[in-house]
Amino acid sequence: MKKYLPALRILAILLTALLAWNLRSYALTTLPVDFDEDDYLRAAQEYAAVFRSGDLTGLTQFNYRPEHPPLSKILYGLSILPAPETPLLPDRPTSAGPDQTLPKHQLRNARTAGAVLGTLTALLVALLNPLAGFFLAIHSWTIKYTAQVMLEALPALTSLLAVLTYRKAVPRNSISHPKLPWLALSALFLGLTAASKYIYCLVGIAIFIDWFLANPETAKQGNRTTGQLVNWLTIFSWGIFSIVIFFAANPYLWPDPLTRLADSVFYHARYSTGAAEVASANFPLWQPFNWLGMSVPWNQQAFRILLDPFITLLAAFGLARLWKKERVYVLWLITAIIFLLAWPTKWPQYLLILTVPLSLAAAEGAISLLEAIRFSVSQSVPNIRSSDLPQAIRSPIRSPIRSLPWLLPGLLAFLLLTIFPLLFQFGMSLTTLNAQSLRDGLQGGLLRELWGGVTSHIPAAGQDASPNQVHFIGLHGYGWVFDYVSSIGLPVFTILWTALSVSLQLALGLGAALLLWNQHVAFRKTWQVLFILPWAIPEAIGALMWLNIFAPLSGWLSLAVKDFGAQNVPFSFLVGWERNPNQTLIILLLASLWYGFPFLMLAASAGLKMLPTEVFDAAAIDGANAWQTFRHVTWPLLTPLLVPAVIIRAIFAFNQFYLFQMFVQFFGGQQYIPVTLSTFSYYLLYRGSEFGISAILNIITILMLIGFVILFNRWSKAGEGVTYA
Amino acid sequence: MRKLTFWRQAGRQLALFAIGLFVLFPIYGLLRMAFDGSLKGAATEFHWLPKQFSLQPMLAILDRPYQSVQFSTILGNSLAVSFSAAILALVLGVSLAYAFARFRFPGRQTGLFVILLTALLPPIAFTTPLYILLSWLGIRTTLLALVLVYAAFAMPFCIWNLRAAFQAIPRETEEAAYLDGAGDLATFTYISLPLSLPAIAVAVLIAFLTAYSEFTIGWLFVSKPDTVTLAMAIYAIVTTGAAQPWSQLGSLAILMSIPVVVIFLLLQRVLLERMMFGAASD
Repeated sequence: MKKYLPALRILAILLTALLAWNLRSYALTTLPVDFDEDDYLRAAQEYAAVFRSGDLTGLTQFNYRPEHPPLSKILYGLSILPAPETPLLPDRPTSAGPDQTLPKHQLRNARTAGAVLGTLTALLVALLNPLAGFFLAIHSWTIKYTAQVMLEALPALTSLLAVLTYRKAVPRNSISHPKLPWLALSALFLGLTAASKYIYCLVGIAIFIDWFLANPETAKQGNRTTGQLVNWLTIFSWGIFSIVIFFAANPYLWPDPLTRLADSVFYHARYSTGAAEVASANFPLWQPFNWLGMSVPWNQQAFRILLDPFITLLAAFGLARLWKKERVYVLWLITAIIFLLAWPTKWPQYLLILTVPLSLAAAEGAISLLEAIRFSVSQSVPNIRSSDLPQAIRSPIRSPIRSLPWLLPGLLAFLLLTIFPLLFQFGMSLTTLNAQSLRDGLQGGLLRELWGGVTSHIPAAGQDASPNQVHFIGLHGYGWVFDYVSSIGLPVFTILWTALSVSLQLALGLGAALLLWNQHVAFRKTWQVLFILPWAIPEAIGALMWLNIFAPLSGWLSLAVKDFGAQNVPFSFLVGWERNPNQTLIILLLASLWYGFPFLMLAASAGLKMLPTEVFDAAAIDGANAWQTFRHVTWPLLTPLLVPAVIIRAIFAFNQFYLFQMFVQFFGGQQYIPVTLSTFSYYLLYRGSEFGISAILNIITILMLIGFVILFNRWSKAGEGVTYA
Repeated sequence: MRKLTFWRQAGRQLALFAIGLFVLFPIYGLLRMAFDGSLKGAATEFHWLPKQFSLQPMLAILDRPYQSVQFSTILGNSLAVSFSAAILALVLGVSLAYAFARFRFPGRQTGLFVILLTALLPPIAFTTPLYILLSWLGIRTTLLALVLVYAAFAMPFCIWNLRAAFQAIPRETEEAAYLDGAGDLATFTYISLPLSLPAIAVAVLIAFLTAYSEFTIGWLFVSKPDTVTLAMAIYAIVTTGAAQPWSQLGSLAILMSIPVVVIFLLLQRVLLERMMFGAASD
């Protein structure tokens, strides 16, 4: 078997490349013309005319849409040379809609050039890791923007080459003796990247950070200062060389380098803050995560496989593993994400700056997931001696017969009131039950369709099905609902919401607990009781209190701004938050922080009480200051005690309902307010009477919660009760 | 613990004061609103103190809080529904909890996992199927439906808590009863049940509170004004916008939450332990 592995690997790489080409060539013939394609095709036409005339000085004069450097456009110019010549396309503003009347042959040639580059990128990634190559090959955003006349295909390839050659130059992260020819090649590719599209140069920053992360280890050997100086000089000349290449590969800059460069760079700052299409899109800060959480939602027939959200999910699992193996790719991913979050323009094509490291991380994630499953299967029977267990849960009576009289009545009730509704809900989720078909459903239609569907006596419903009858659609609804909710960003928002609100609650809860830890703090008990109040108040009442402050028009804040003027009121910038998703998130987080921190404060206080005092005396004797004591003594001892509480809070945040419901309800659903999955499910039930879809969402929520509960079991003492008792 | 120097004490008090302000500000906002007699609908002017201090909104609420239904009727609904739901969850859950606490049988691990999972599901996960099932039975718009729904919300958590209560009884006590010839039922009735009564009371209380402070989902089941609970009435006033003075909304919210807050403050330790699903026990 081992003998064939290399051959299998080569086969996998070839198949991946073939798949990548197949998907891209299909997309390039099927996708309609998109925004900007006419602009870059016009630029290509100008360059094609230059090449035809034979007078290459034209390259220094033309660069249509000069905000982007010309290399990609020159390449497109070469690619349309064989196509029939047509008159120059008109000059249109960036906000103009897609022009569907582009010359067919030229469009096709240019798109093919992009698709070839895209396939090459996938092939290179497959050489690193065939699974990662596969993920990149099927990633629908990557396919879309390399199969259209956009500027992404070339820099995506050259930026990958810059990293690959860098890794060749410093194998095993030893930068003391870099292989200089490879390093020069890396600078070359970075320069070409810069000459194609600026944002792809973020890989340069990732390489730079990687270089300095490796530095301390190697500088220890030998002469420290000279070693560091050489290191600095090497990376500095790498940077200079890539800048030289950038100018060399950018003929448009030659006649008047500085002015033209400044014009093109400053355009982007102006565009991101001033352009009408950027403002009207009104994307939230976290929109890049929304793009990552969905497949391309438009013209889906052009993509045969739509699995982007799962690739992102796997990538999140694989980051740690990839960091151990190939740090620079994780740095690349992180740099790119930070940039995308910070940059005001949020167009989806920007994702291509990170899809290469994303698919590498996803491949590692897939492997670590497989290993986790193998591990949990082999570890499912814990080996615990009964003397390790606390007295109370030791040796329950081993007599199934004796347990029956107790088990049966309770089990019956539990099955009837809890399990049966959940199973019934799964049944509902396989049908089209809604307000229109409710009557039929209640009069036996639901059972008829379910029975028929399960025994496959009734074929799945087609388009011509009567809307007044329930229909069995099987699991089709799941794909559709998942696509829909991810295209409006709900799963991403729910996860983001859970992470942010719990982190804030933990920070304030832990802070408050630490402040109150010392017994000599004055009014200790009073403060503690005061801080518990929000926890004791029902969630909806708490939401009402915050609504009373922030409600548009009638809330305290907007009334204060109305009566005293915006400049005299702190936080007046938050007026109008309901029109800005980022500010909406801030308001909701503030309310959830208020409501949730007391629970974590109580949990942290209980944990702090359990810590042994000796270790703190030892730390004091060793002369540790307050921060050192916290960082190296308190925090590590407290973490295992806090994790279960944090997971419980995370589950509550994941399920958060009343807070969103209060805020959404107040607006009567007129404004867009991001909500959690369970709030949306209620909405579908109450407003839309979409019973089947609501059931699907609930089942998805349940599946996600199973993950949380497994996590909780692994970490908590309650879990010991579950596993060993 | 070391004594604090003056400056450290002052710094801590300052930080605590900031957190205290953050905690109190929204609460004060609601109080201010509740006692402002000048409000006709929602607020239209900014005031730090009630523009016209008055107990009138509170009295109006104590008379007819919602759509000219008597306060006593709505409070009665609230108490009856919540209490029935809690007792139902207890009665239906207690034997299962005891079985999981005391006996070992096949499928026990899976059972515990399922109970924990269902205790952590959002209420909406039960609402959708119960809506259809209760419609089917033709009782969706009755108070009984509300009781069943709230019992379904509360039961898994109730079972989990009861199991913890039974497990906390020392084995030796029960074994002594066995040795004296008591059967399982007698042991349970005369030993386990009395010993765990305080813990059972807490479990029932939590189930009661779940139902008592449920605001929204109840509206899917009952909709006649004289069958709503206190919490549902609050939600209804918010959705109808400015139809009723917001001072009354504030008063109702305060009246409704006072008992909850008192219970939480009195029982904070045990409630925290229960809400951590047994993960905080030391």
